[in-house]
Amino acid sequence: MLDCHDLTFHYQRCDPGEIPDFCFTFGLAPGECLAVEGPSGAGKSTLLGLLAGFLEPGGGRLTWAGQDLLARPPWERGITTVFQDHNLFDHLPVWLNVGLGLAPDMKLSGDQQARIRAGLAEVGLDGLHDRLPDELSGGQRQRVALLRALLRGAPLLLLDEPFTGLDDATRQGLWALVRRQKAAGVAVLLVSHDRDDIEALADRRCRLETGRLV
Amino acid sequence: MTPKLPAAGLALATLLAGGAAHADRTLTVYTYESFVAEWGPGPGIEAAFEARCGDCDLEFVALPGGVDILQRLRLEGQGTAADVVLGLDMNLMAEARALDLLAPHGVDTAPLALPIDWNDDTFLPYDWGHFAFVYDTRQLDAPPDSFEALLEAPEDVKLILQDPRTSVTGQGLMLWIRKLYGERAPEIWARLDERVLTVTNGWSQAYFSLFMNGEAPMVLSYATSPAYHMAVEGSDRYQAAEFEEGHYLQVETAAMVANTEQPELARDFLAFVLTPDFQRHIPLGNVMNPAIELGDALPGVFDRLIAPKSLTFAPETVREHRREWIREWLNAVAR
Amino acid sequence: MTPTSRWATRSRWPLGWGLTAFVAVVGLGLGSLGALLWQARALHPAMLWEEPWLAAVLRFTLWQASLSTLLSIGLAVPVALALARRPRFFGRRLLLRAMELSLVIPSLIALFGLVAVHGRRGWVAPLRDWLGGLPEDYLYGLSGIVLAHVFYNLPLAARLMLQALEQAPAAQWRLAGQLGLTRGALWRALEWPRLAPLLPRLAALVFTLCFTSFAIVMTLGGGPGASTLEVALYQAMKFDHDLALAALLALTQLTLCLALWLLALSRGGTPSLAVSARPAAIAPRWWRRDALGASRVVDACWLVGLAALLLPPLAAVLVAGAWGLPELPRGASLAPAALRSLVMALGAGLGALALAVALLVGSHWLRATRRPLSATILEGGGQLILVIPALVLGTGLFLLLRPQLGSGWQGYALVVLVNAFMALPFAMQVVRGALPGLSAQERRLADQFGVRGAARVRWLIWPRLRRPLALALAYAMTLSLGDFSVIALFGSPSAPTLPMLLFQQLGGYRWQGAAATALLLLALVAGVFALLDRLTRRPPRHAGAFSPSPEIADARLP
Repeated sequence: MLDCHDLTFHYQRCDPGEIPDFCFTFGLAPGECLAVEGPSGAGKSTLLGLLAGFLEPGGGRLTWAGQDLLARPPWERGITTVFQDHNLFDHLPVWLNVGLGLAPDMKLSGDQQARIRAGLAEVGLDGLHDRLPDELSGGQRQRVALLRALLRGAPLLLLDEPFTGLDDATRQGLWALVRRQKAAGVAVLLVSHDRDDIEALADRRCRLETGRLV
Repeated sequence: MTPKLPAAGLALATLLAGGAAHADRTLTVYTYESFVAEWGPGPGIEAAFEARCGDCDLEFVALPGGVDILQRLRLEGQGTAADVVLGLDMNLMAEARALDLLAPHGVDTAPLALPIDWNDDTFLPYDWGHFAFVYDTRQLDAPPDSFEALLEAPEDVKLILQDPRTSVTGQGLMLWIRKLYGERAPEIWARLDERVLTVTNGWSQAYFSLFMNGEAPMVLSYATSPAYHMAVEGSDRYQAAEFEEGHYLQVETAAMVANTEQPELARDFLAFVLTPDFQRHIPLGNVMNPAIELGDALPGVFDRLIAPKSLTFAPETVREHRREWIREWLNAVAR
Repeated sequence: MTPTSRWATRSRWPLGWGLTAFVAVVGLGLGSLGALLWQARALHPAMLWEEPWLAAVLRFTLWQASLSTLLSIGLAVPVALALARRPRFFGRRLLLRAMELSLVIPSLIALFGLVAVHGRRGWVAPLRDWLGGLPEDYLYGLSGIVLAHVFYNLPLAARLMLQALEQAPAAQWRLAGQLGLTRGALWRALEWPRLAPLLPRLAALVFTLCFTSFAIVMTLGGGPGASTLEVALYQAMKFDHDLALAALLALTQLTLCLALWLLALSRGGTPSLAVSARPAAIAPRWWRRDALGASRVVDACWLVGLAALLLPPLAAVLVAGAWGLPELPRGASLAPAALRSLVMALGAGLGALALAVALLVGSHWLRATRRPLSATILEGGGQLILVIPALVLGTGLFLLLRPQLGSGWQGYALVVLVNAFMALPFAMQVVRGALPGLSAQERRLADQFGVRGAARVRWLIWPRLRRPLALALAYAMTLSLGDFSVIALFGSPSAPTLPMLLFQQLGGYRWQGAAATALLLLALVAGVFALLDRLTRRPPRHAGAFSPSPEIADARLP
């Protein structure tokens, strides 16, 4: 269970008592998908950045299963983010990009390599094992990123508009991957402004307005 | 907008040209950079000459050094803008003469007070000095008193030299050694090399960047250098070492260009060179010995400078052998 | 590659501009060389290998330049990595500024600082004696030359590398943090791919600068054994008036360096000297797994090392200059000299900028019409000046223009012109990165809405270019501000520029005053950078696309 309580963020330093630019409170259960909507600029990226540890919160509480996440560095929070773009490192082949989720030092055991190969086959990318990201389509790149998240097995998945600009067929394939994660008990936070994405994946939905979730 | 533009242009022009107004009779003198400095002899001489000639205008064109004056003359040939060249030393005389661009000066050389006889009718000396090793008394109590002693000096008596290919002082040392040792020069170079800290491209680098930073106790310079420190800075710290074998002499000269448009003015200027009004700017302005007896006008510190025996080669000899001697030096010291 | 519509390249004026600039630059460069060759009677290429000292000089030049390049670039890598890993520490901004400036410090001033610090009686002397391992005169000889070259080139190389690292997409840095990439993995996944395309050109630039270095090599070389081709050239030209040998040496230098540049241009991307205006992303406490623990010590060592290399010589100049301030000439010459220098530098800077933009616009047009080879040649033309010695450029130009050349006025104009050409390669490096400007998509949009001509420049291109242009102007201005070589070539009436005043002071034993003038020169250089930076810091109101980062854009919109 993810518990986020009064997590705040300011662009400029502000005095105590002053109303913060952003203040988030919500909960998220394993296997659940919460969709956050809102116009661009409402602070969706800020929310994800705070959860993942890319931004330093002004105050508040963030726990997973009772354990304080704010005290942990990003790589120990059990969170994987899939961004809209630039999810892959351009100079690494597909299998190594996936492998980063299993071995952050790039030293992959034979067993891990076999898992990557199997995973790629499963999501229909078997021929692209050694390709570079440049040689893939946008949808294929996102599929690689989602496969990496799947194999990494972090309990929380943050999706930062990962389906934007893709056609319907591609998106349905990607949705399936996200649903598999949900089924495995992963909590998903989806940031999107696309009605279809939200309807396909979300169990609950809320809106971001003037820095607050409503 | 429109009236402003020419005004701005004019202001710019004045700024760039240094505000020089152009009189009808302009005498263009090619000389070297330090001669025309605000504290150098140039401004005083310009004022004195312009006062004497009435409506004329003396205009200096400054080049980095004597070699550059020669080079410029050579490139410009007959079309040169110079009326007078000032700053060619004895070692450049032969080459300058070979250009066939210069005319006899026609000045009575009786007032000359040089350490050597002078009877050249084209080049008129305006100052002179000996090359010498200047030492820092704080680092060296007893400087070597001869070239031999320098070669035998203790390990830590390091020298800063200049390259004979790019500097006048460096070339002076080359001629000095050649004059003293003749065919043995390469051997001497090799022995001297053990004392050498470094060989710079120019005198300024050696004196300013290295010697004044205390990098070595001795630097190749002029026998007159201490005069500046004593007279202007009031410090006796830097002195020249006197070598009993004698020192190589540098004589700097002026000459007029043959097809100048201002022959009379040029001759007037050359005649002016040997007058006290010109010469009294030399000792502290150019830090060299004046070419005539100045009497009381000579600053007292000049009496405290060394007065060594003078060594010279004939300009023709220098011209003939310079390249060969430079190669000899290169092969002796290039490791 | 996105196909370009016929319309995008309909207007041919960029090509015209580019070609005009190309003809001017290459004509000047090759023309001056040609003038030398024409004056010289016979060329004896065999001298190069038959004359033993010449062969030795060539060997030494290649050796010291290679070594200097290797060390400058090699050590710049860990320094850049350390700077990237430590986005916040006390003095970081100052250090970056000093790094950007290192390229434009006149060599005479740099030498003074280096000697004051590393010389036998320098600041380091007590430490050196205490440590005992270093020889007393390590500043002289090959080690000194390499030290000076590293002092000049490492900071700039590291600065450009840092910029390349910072320009990686933010998402990739965040992913690297989230996945917890280790040191080695980060290097393979992110750092090396960012640095690798930079290296060929950076190495070519550093090599060329070291290859043609003159005062440093001679002063610190310790003797004629350490000498460069430029010294031989200087001798041939000035003392021996052996134009044939001079031309031969210039041709050798040209051939070697051009070959290197072609190699570098043919591979590798385009490092841009432009130091980006993008504020570094707000760095949280832990943004990289490899930034913890012992890595702090390692980074501290590299950064302290960088500061120890870069700052003390500059400080030495400041100290000596401050002592010398009372010795500055009382007369009226100083302020006019400074103003004269600034006006000339501004002229040269604007000239260099115009040439750079023309060449780059032309080469972009050629690329857009899919003629990459021609584009490379057009761009390479701008680098040509880097490998033609100033002495050859000046003398050749002198020979070409001789009948028309009076003294005074035209002399100054010529100096400005030559300085503009000499600053061109650097101006091009800066502007290059920014010029692509509009993406293909934006271009198509602009075409669709008919935003073209002056309007397109005003609203779409100018807002992105103004900062790089200002920076290019700063580099070009300061390079010519500190230049002694060109102005010395043409001679001058008695009104000196600042560098000439410095030379006069040195020639006249006024070394304390000279130190103060050097300080003033350094202050002017820093001032030009600061002023141009300030003038262009605030983005114009209409440049929405220019807003610094998505987070801040988020915050400003309702």
